[in-house]
Amino acid sequence: MDSTTAMYVAQGIHGLAYGMILFLVASGLTMIFGMMGILNLAHAAFFMLSAYFSYQALAMTGNYWIALLAAPLATAVVGVLVERFLLRKVHAFGHVGELLLTVGVSLVILDAVKAFWGTESLYVDLPESLKGLIHVGGLEYPVYRLFVIGLALVVLFIMAFLLYRTRLGMVVRAAVSDADMVNALGINVPLVFMLVFGIGTWMAGVAGVAIAPILTVFPGLADQMGMDAFLVVVTGGFGSLSGAFIISLVFGELSSYGVQFISALAPVLMFVLMAIILVIKPTGLFGERE
Amino acid sequence: MRTGRKILVVFAIFSLLLMLNLPKALAANAKYDAAGLPDMSDFDPSNPIIPTGDTIKIAIVASFSGPAAIVGEIYFISVQWAAHDINKRGGILVDGKRKKIQVIRADTQSKPAVAKKVCERMILKEHVNVLWGTNGSHIMKVINQVAKKYGVIAQCAAALSDELYDARNFTRYSFMTSFQTNQIGRAAAYYYGQIRKKEKKFYILCQDYLFGHSMAEGFKEGLKLYYPQAQLVGEDYHKLFLTDFAPYLTKIKASGAEVVYTGDWIPDAANLLVQARQAGIKLPFANIFLDEPNFLHKVGVEGTKGLLNISQFGAPNPLFKNDLQIKFYKAWNDLWKTKWKAPFNTYLFKHPLGNIGSYMFQTYWLLSVIERAGSLDPEKIIKQWEGDSYEYISGKVMTMRPVDHKAIQDLHAFEYVPPAEQKQSFNIPPYSYFTGCSNTGPISTIPAEKIMPKLDPKLKR
Repeated sequence: MDSTTAMYVAQGIHGLAYGMILFLVASGLTMIFGMMGILNLAHAAFFMLSAYFSYQALAMTGNYWIALLAAPLATAVVGVLVERFLLRKVHAFGHVGELLLTVGVSLVILDAVKAFWGTESLYVDLPESLKGLIHVGGLEYPVYRLFVIGLALVVLFIMAFLLYRTRLGMVVRAAVSDADMVNALGINVPLVFMLVFGIGTWMAGVAGVAIAPILTVFPGLADQMGMDAFLVVVTGGFGSLSGAFIISLVFGELSSYGVQFISALAPVLMFVLMAIILVIKPTGLFGERE
Repeated sequence: MRTGRKILVVFAIFSLLLMLNLPKALAANAKYDAAGLPDMSDFDPSNPIIPTGDTIKIAIVASFSGPAAIVGEIYFISVQWAAHDINKRGGILVDGKRKKIQVIRADTQSKPAVAKKVCERMILKEHVNVLWGTNGSHIMKVINQVAKKYGVIAQCAAALSDELYDARNFTRYSFMTSFQTNQIGRAAAYYYGQIRKKEKKFYILCQDYLFGHSMAEGFKEGLKLYYPQAQLVGEDYHKLFLTDFAPYLTKIKASGAEVVYTGDWIPDAANLLVQARQAGIKLPFANIFLDEPNFLHKVGVEGTKGLLNISQFGAPNPLFKNDLQIKFYKAWNDLWKTKWKAPFNTYLFKHPLGNIGSYMFQTYWLLSVIERAGSLDPEKIIKQWEGDSYEYISGKVMTMRPVDHKAIQDLHAFEYVPPAEQKQSFNIPPYSYFTGCSNTGPISTIPAEKIMPKLDPKLKR
């Protein structure tokens, strides 16, 4: 292909890659809200925490793949502890208590990373096997970004399988629909919710590890990504995984082609789309609950 | 000898010196006394020795918490070093009394409202003599406003916006000893147009706010002035803390640019370069913030080769021209190697050069001005500083323009080369700044008269 076509194709793949990263962050957030009714404002902080965990794991083992496995798990453990010992206690007092608590948790995580790792920017190396470029028909594209796209698709597949093809998923969906009834059937609903919160933070953790080699790991990382992820959830509809997926891809492409064609307006395109969708459908594209 | 003849002889000698391009060492009113450097082995930024009693108080107004907290620590170690040095020499004689220097951290949390409160507390409760700042021109603006209100001296050592000293914002209590946005842009253009004369196609990518636009304007002005044959093949402004630079990089690659000029600061600058190298884009980036060594190590030797850094702490090669410079350098570097703890033990603090060197010697200049004013009276300090000139240990001379309190100075363009080629600059063992990344090799001087600070014509003094 000629250089102009290669440029447009590259922009398309950039949009896809960024959209997938957005989805990884946003999916955990929307799942926790959809399943538990909790707007977890600490979600981006978990994402940042995982990036730090991956830095640490890499520093200790020198192996990116171990970091990819360990950091999201460690993040999920922190998430489970937060749910078990903090969120569960305020759940009965409604959304305001949960909101305040999750804001508090995000501040604690922020201070904790500063205490452990300082405020300097940290850098995570790409694994050797994912360095370099792929050359296809005149197009050069970084291997790592293609890996991120694949990773997000795998996570999406695992989540869809878990939720819609397993007994566990059925219980989770039932607990969301009518927690009292599921409880009466002898299923430990608080345990189910803890599991959901753990999976949600694990997904944020996967995103944190995926982004770490592309971005500087620093205490502002949560803010850097958190707002975009929140926009995805609002626009896609609170609680909708498919909404988060579609909107993440749309936002990714808007961002990419926006820079290409109307660079000055690129940063606001996401907001414009969100406004249009919310005017037409206030619950978001696929949202059912406000 | 008759008076007329005496005058003639003096005039002749003066003219001869001018023709011989009067060495700048002689041109400065004062210079750093490197021979008098005391034993600095007890200097520890984590446990600074704080003088008590009647002291000269300098408040470092900066971010000491939040994501930018490390910036405050960079300022602190630089200013505290200068203070420690002067204190060990016995302090400064002011208003008939010898006083030591006390450095106080004043945390702005990077918020203007907090900055205002902390500046007022520093003046009203701590009775500081100088407000020293800072990261972010919006915060420096607040510092200057408070300095004006209370009649306290402020030193702008790190904010870069020209607007801080225009007709609307100027205050005679504040002095800008740092370089400035427009000047930096013109300096980069001068380097490419008048010194390097190689690349012709440039792409501007800056952050989308006043600072980024000012940096870009300076570069464009410079290209018109010093490199009219140059072609601007693209110009973009991105949002702050951008996550994904890939779309911009694809545009840059397609534009045929030979150099990317960016005003971005870290983390944006770091993310831009890292993502560019990951995408196989090997273009040089001209910048002032792509000198953070921890980040340079991440990108590696090849990825950092060819970067251009416009520096306000430069001097022609080699770095060490005499034993006193080596002694000063080793006093710092030995402590870094053996004594300092986190956060002061990373590559960032290895050398008393670059930004650290600049902040340190801007502070030495301030202290020299106070010493020569012989007083802490702001009016006497203003009188002394206006038109003053001071020579750093490197030989660089700073001159304070009286009309708008902006420093006139040569700037230097550092071209980054692999470790093996750094000997031309770092001319003592181990003959390189760092082994894990490219760093300063060839250094070019951009003469002060070519990059005079912008003067607002509406400023009437």
